[in-house]
Amino acid sequence: MQIVIMYNEDQKIVFLFSPELDNAFLQELYGDDLLQAEMVFESSVQQLRNEQQLAETRFHNGDMQGLKKVIHKMKPLLGYMGMNEIMEEFAVFEQTCAQSETAAEAEAGFYHIKIITLEAVKKAEKEIKRLKQHNIQYL
Amino acid sequence: MKYQSIIVEDLQVAAEFLKRFCEKSGVVDVAHHFLNAEDAMLFLKDNVVDLIFLDVEMPGATGFELLDQLVYTPQVILTTSKTEYAYNAFQYNVTDYLKKPFTYQRFLEAVQKVSKKTEQLNGGSEQDHMFIKTDGKLIRLHNDDILFIESMGDYVKFITPVKKYITHNTIKNLETKVNPQVFMKVHRSYIVNFTKINDIQENVLFINGNMIPISKTHKSGVMQKINIL
Repeated sequence: MQIVIMYNEDQKIVFLFSPELDNAFLQELYGDDLLQAEMVFESSVQQLRNEQQLAETRFHNGDMQGLKKVIHKMKPLLGYMGMNEIMEEFAVFEQTCAQSETAAEAEAGFYHIKIITLEAVKKAEKEIKRLKQHNIQYL
Repeated sequence: MKYQSIIVEDLQVAAEFLKRFCEKSGVVDVAHHFLNAEDAMLFLKDNVVDLIFLDVEMPGATGFELLDQLVYTPQVILTTSKTEYAYNAFQYNVTDYLKKPFTYQRFLEAVQKVSKKTEQLNGGSEQDHMFIKTDGKLIRLHNDDILFIESMGDYVKFITPVKKYITHNTIKNLETKVNPQVFMKVHRSYIVNFTKINDIQENVLFINGNMIPISKTHKSGVMQKINIL
């Protein structure tokens, strides 16, 4: 795990988020409050896991409107972690749920969402480690 | 002016962000956070707020259903992760529309819009009246009709020459809401209309035969405010 140390105009150490995340947006969102970032990443991962289980249940029960609500709730969590592209994919799948009457119609989309959620959680966990390391060392 | 607000948001992370932003701004107080519209509706039956940060899609009733139930119109900032609600937002005349997640800068822009709208609603001048909720309805009270306001714990009593109105509120909250050109706090339990003061004796003032204490903390403020020849 590599941490590049950069300094801002006030000679404060700037944390650079991983390149796969929207660094510019995350810098704007958290500023130098990296404890807040760490906390939000942690609680977002926890909630993503919980909601993913709920999504699974609703999908298998064929409750498409219920599934749509879960996807809607998961979507902004990704935004708080700078995963805008994945968030867009969730928005597309939310539409799919709204237009599907049966689970079969949304099946392909649902399995794709499962995969990208797992990837998102992995990325987030990696970022939490980086944030923790930075916060322990510099705060 | 400080805006009294509530947050209606089922996503805890989003609500925490909003709370932090409100605190950081110094101009928005968050009275409560509700995870669903139903609980917020119950609160709003007995309480008046200036501003609602409102999510649209939540478990149970939607944010728009909450707005349909309101008997008065506080300003509303919609906080949602969908842009599809723009038309509804326009129909409900909401002050701003924040797409989650949003930055502090974007939040401040929304609060500035609230401030601008407040000025417009007050006709660009200092407000000459206020609405209070009492007996299940909103009553307009002109500043000139109010003699003083007295604390009764979680309630306050508005004293006019002809009637007394009791409403669910606190002196602390009202202190930032009333027109400072007309009203001032003279004691932790009293706000007075100082154009109505008949006389002052030591640490007591009189309005229409009512004796109102002046606390040590507020004495110098009172003396500065009155026109001593």
